[in-house]
Amino acid sequence: MSMNQTSIEADRTLLARIGVDQVAARERRGRRRNFWTAFAFMAPALALVGGLLLYPVAFNIYLSFTDWRKFSGLDTFAGFKNYERLFGQVYFMDAAVNTLIWVVASLIFPVGLGLAMAILLRGIRFEGVFKNLIFLPRVLAPTAVGVIWYYVYAPGGLINHLLSVVSGHPVTIGWLYQSDTVTPAIIATHVWQTVGIVMVLLLLGLSAIPKDPVEAAQMDGAKPWQTYRHVILPMLTPTLVVVSIISVLAGFTAFDLLWVMGAGYSGQRTLSLVVYMYFEAFQKGGWAFGGAIAVVIGALVLLVTWIQAALQAKAERMVR
Amino acid sequence: MATALDHLDYDAIERRERRRVRGGWGAVTLAALVSLIWLAPFYYLLVSVFKSSAEYGSGNPLALPHGFAPILDNAARVWVDAQLGVALFNSATYGLIGASVAVLVAAMAAFGLTRIDFPRRTGWFMLIFAGTVFPFQMYLIPLFFTYQQIGILNTRFGMILFYCAICVPFPVLVLRNFMGQLNREMDEAARMDGASDWRVFVSIVLPNCKSPMLALFLLQFTWIWNDLLFSTVLGNSPQIRSVMNALQVFQGAYASVGPNISLTGALIASLPTVALFLLLRRHFMAGLGVSA
Repeated sequence: MSMNQTSIEADRTLLARIGVDQVAARERRGRRRNFWTAFAFMAPALALVGGLLLYPVAFNIYLSFTDWRKFSGLDTFAGFKNYERLFGQVYFMDAAVNTLIWVVASLIFPVGLGLAMAILLRGIRFEGVFKNLIFLPRVLAPTAVGVIWYYVYAPGGLINHLLSVVSGHPVTIGWLYQSDTVTPAIIATHVWQTVGIVMVLLLLGLSAIPKDPVEAAQMDGAKPWQTYRHVILPMLTPTLVVVSIISVLAGFTAFDLLWVMGAGYSGQRTLSLVVYMYFEAFQKGGWAFGGAIAVVIGALVLLVTWIQAALQAKAERMVR
Repeated sequence: MATALDHLDYDAIERRERRRVRGGWGAVTLAALVSLIWLAPFYYLLVSVFKSSAEYGSGNPLALPHGFAPILDNAARVWVDAQLGVALFNSATYGLIGASVAVLVAAMAAFGLTRIDFPRRTGWFMLIFAGTVFPFQMYLIPLFFTYQQIGILNTRFGMILFYCAICVPFPVLVLRNFMGQLNREMDEAARMDGASDWRVFVSIVLPNCKSPMLALFLLQFTWIWNDLLFSTVLGNSPQIRSVMNALQVFQGAYASVGPNISLTGALIASLPTVALFLLLRRHFMAGLGVSA
């Protein structure tokens, strides 16, 4: 914490001569001058983030309490009217239920499968090759993945073809057009794309685990399954928490896949809150109502982030 | 480490090694099966882009194509109808300018946050990092409205401006950690010799941050290239559209022309970032390491 251009020796001489208070005052002045230099360096970042990210968030919260529709009402205060309206909407409730399904599914499947794959691949022959192959879908844009899987699920597509071959008679299920199959189908695609990154992160976490306790357990005759259950998994908990939260947020805010793959489904707006918000604001012009949905999504994201912080702190205490 | 060799149980070690190898082949088979399932959609993509519409429509989606020629027709068709040329140009422009400006701006901010002493530095960092806390949905309506008011809706400038902003906070987090670990002795020495803060930043700190900055550039470029949501909301006119937006619009409007043509479009739109990833995989993985 020494001042620029002033050596510690000079500080000591000054201390002796003019006393601690004056040095402290000088340091404060120096730090204040430093502040403006630092501020100049931060200014472009602050301007971009403030103007294009933080200001919109504040504006969005404000507009959700107005009566803003198509061309008027931005200056009419509406209180909680938009929020009250939400809970009377059938579409909103359906979208909320589907979002909840996404949250649970993107916690169970990418993390569960990713962990299973990480344990399976770790240390086997061709580990690197398998790892890259399973990671590969992640390199594609969700939009491109959506286009590919749109046809994989098509009535004459890959899935129905395989089912026809297995069952011996023609199968033409409209996976993406029926309310009971569309969400599981898109979730399966999402899992296909995201499990690779989860697996890579868990492999990183596994390789950071110290070898000694693992070898000690093996020496004591623990079976591989027991070693994983009682030695490795507890030490992997912090990584698992981080990966779970990343996974939940990614599933919760997924838009591109739903937008591309759900295009042929008549209830597309109910596929998730994220899609519902887009419909209400940009297709129906209900700006204030759409803004209220965005605030609800934001509150849920903050809740998840907060849970993450709490769990992470707890997991780290457990390891130490 | 010293070990009493005669106390080691060689038989046990050998048994363990053998078990690992034997169990290994079972695991390899299982892993190969899983990989096959994971690759099936890629196989389907690759055989479909080489089929003509008639060939695709006539049967088995897994069958090998009769020849390679139809991909040229498919590509020409999607190139013209989806206006892929201008869309690819737009995405390249947005990605190159957006990601490089954002990473540079982030490096400047990280320099201010780590190499200069001033009060409440953590607070200023949190202010910038707050840009990653909120979901994208909270930006959409205000940005659309404000862009319309000041006349930059559906312009390349507006798109680039937004991409610059959205790509700042994460690189600030990474570069702040990285610069915080760099030795400060060189800074101090240069300052003694009368170098300005800007000089220290450009000549000493930046050259030392090349590798994380490259990884961050690649991550942010890919993010911009893959973005569909903001291109749909802020730049949805044919001349301004990003490539993912053009692909989605084509898919919606021309779903009936034939999966082989849409799939060729998806392949063309993906090639640049897939190629980048394969060429610079190590840097991507380094980027993932820092983001984890």
